[in-house]
Amino acid sequence: METTNLNKSIKSKNEKYKFRPKKGLIGWVFVLLSVILICLFYFYPMLQALLLSFQSGAGVNLEFVGIENYTRLFSDPTFLAALFNTVIYFLIQVPVMIIIALMFSVMLNNKKLKFRGLFRTAIFLPAVTSLVAYSVIFKYLFSNNGIINTILTNLSLISEPILWMSDPFWAKIVIILAITWRWVGYNMIFYLSALQNVDESIYEAARMDGASAFQQFFKITIPMLKPIILFTSITSTIGTLQLFDEPMNITGGGPGNATLTISQYIYNLSFEYTPDFGYASAVSFAIVVMIVFFSIIQFKLAGDKK
Amino acid sequence: MKKRLLLLASLITILFIAACSSGDSDEANGTSNGNEADGITVWAWDPKFNIKALEIAEEAYKAENPDFQLNVIENAQDDIVQKLNTSLSSGTTKGLPNIVLIEDYRVKSFLEAYPDSFHEITGSIEVSDFTPYKIAATSIDDKNYGVPFDTGATGLYVRTDYLEEAGYTTEDLQDIDWNEYIEIGKKVKEVTGKKLLTNDHNDFGIIRVLIQSGGSWYTEEDGVTINITDNEPLKAAFKVYKELVDADLMAVHSDWNQLLEAINSGSVASIPTGNWFTPSIKAEESQSGNWAVVPIPSLPEVEGATHASNLGGSSWYVLNIDGKEEAVDFLTSTFGSNAAFYQDLVTEMGAVGTYIPAMEEGAYEISDDYFGGQEIYNDFTKWSEEIPEVNYGLHTYAIDDILIVAMQDYLNGGDLDKVLESAQKQAETQIK
Repeated sequence: METTNLNKSIKSKNEKYKFRPKKGLIGWVFVLLSVILICLFYFYPMLQALLLSFQSGAGVNLEFVGIENYTRLFSDPTFLAALFNTVIYFLIQVPVMIIIALMFSVMLNNKKLKFRGLFRTAIFLPAVTSLVAYSVIFKYLFSNNGIINTILTNLSLISEPILWMSDPFWAKIVIILAITWRWVGYNMIFYLSALQNVDESIYEAARMDGASAFQQFFKITIPMLKPIILFTSITSTIGTLQLFDEPMNITGGGPGNATLTISQYIYNLSFEYTPDFGYASAVSFAIVVMIVFFSIIQFKLAGDKK
Repeated sequence: MKKRLLLLASLITILFIAACSSGDSDEANGTSNGNEADGITVWAWDPKFNIKALEIAEEAYKAENPDFQLNVIENAQDDIVQKLNTSLSSGTTKGLPNIVLIEDYRVKSFLEAYPDSFHEITGSIEVSDFTPYKIAATSIDDKNYGVPFDTGATGLYVRTDYLEEAGYTTEDLQDIDWNEYIEIGKKVKEVTGKKLLTNDHNDFGIIRVLIQSGGSWYTEEDGVTINITDNEPLKAAFKVYKELVDADLMAVHSDWNQLLEAINSGSVASIPTGNWFTPSIKAEESQSGNWAVVPIPSLPEVEGATHASNLGGSSWYVLNIDGKEEAVDFLTSTFGSNAAFYQDLVTEMGAVGTYIPAMEEGAYEISDDYFGGQEIYNDFTKWSEEIPEVNYGLHTYAIDDILIVAMQDYLNGGDLDKVLESAQKQAETQIK
């Protein structure tokens, strides 16, 4: 009897040392906490939303319609218009923003520049402002008799005020200007930190060989920052796909649906029109698919580097 | 040491989970108790108008029910719509108010989307006491759900001084159609340099006003069938709109503040809108005596076109939760049957109701010096009785957005029939 007990305890002790269950257990309990929370607040709603996207109907009168919501997406002109707007935003806005952010970061990285901290703070500051607050301010800046129109008229650049919010072209421009202002500083920080890792001796060598500032920028800085540029352009693209606050508050998606984004369309489907939560979640899964698509591209491209 | 860590970790986990669940039930109990104990809760927007009206109603009701307590929760209309949608679709009634204010254009979609969530009040109000268009807007299949509140009866607010300069009086504006009004507008612009009116291309209120004055809506009688391609009043309204833009008679604003500025700074000569706009016009005291209200012009070449229409307006709805009887009693004994209360509404805040006995008892015979002594409230109530009855249906705002895009195409030179045809197709695919 005693021996078997002893054997057992030795055995279990051995096992303990083998698998370290106690240490593992502690770890797992800590992990469990976040796993439960993530399952409860991320995966469960996601699953529910996925199920919801196969249903359609007004409010609570939902019924299963299979993939009809998804086929409807392709023949829904409003969705396609929102998709088109979103694509326009990231095709134009993301490159512009990244070029500006690159230029700022290189300028601010210059060790001879005075008040570097001040400039960095000034350019980064927009990134900490509230989305709604800055949207409202942009709306007033670009109103028909707002300060932008006043300045342009006083400079005799335009004879009549531009109706920013009532013209499909200018309304898009305003949105692009707004997001660019808001996010340039944020992206600049990434480049600035990446630039710290670029060895100064490379530039020195380049200068010795007579490379101009432009050549240094295009032949050294850009190649060295390539992974970061890739990263920021993907995150910016994903951010653009989820764009909501700016068009909602500045233009309301108008004129017509010239500045409508996919996220805003989801809002309209759920709260502005007779609510069809099923179709709205189908639209949101369309965003998910696109984000997954861009993320895969990011992984692929970044993977090549390594 | 390890044991302690393990204990600590599990303790945190348990505590957290426990806190989550117990927190939930505490909160839930708190709100449901709150509802029962503290009387009737109302969600409404606009403190100067809707909530003021509620306060006047509370006072009137308290005279007979001294224990009555009304909790008004103010939210923006958009927020109310959002909160109602999320609460009702989640299936929980906790935290919902007893009474909620809903815009007439929007209410059918709520009643349809959440059929059991609203309390039917058929029989609690005398249907014949209210203007017919308002009853049509608040009922489904002869079942009444809403206690009517304000009318959105429209009028054309005009600057008499500008008209005079161009050689017109308000007499010339009675019983005209839009084509005639546009001619007047051209003359006014020539003489004074002021545009005729101002509009937001993204707000289709004016089109809704025009088509209802022609007895039509975006959907047919059933409230579901899309009615765009063969909708003569809608076509006429589109033509009027384009004419106003092409003749450069329409100034453009892009939000409410810019609209107010255009009106109060005197940069436009008129505005066709709902009577609830009166306080906004009167806010500019220097223009006292320079305004008048005339019936809106009728749609040209439309059979049965009238000079009366509606813009906005809302009604009170009782939710199907505890306390509904008390809520119904409060609403019916104030908004539903009290002529003296409506008199208070108009004298204290200029709100025009749709309660016919109040009109008959002369509650609205008040001359207003701001409008040159005109009895504007009386005029509005007279016009409100002529408003064509239409079914606002389920999809007003969805079709609004489609037509706003169609209008852009039309203004850019598109063919009207083709533009409307594609709008019809789009509406049919989008709305199911």
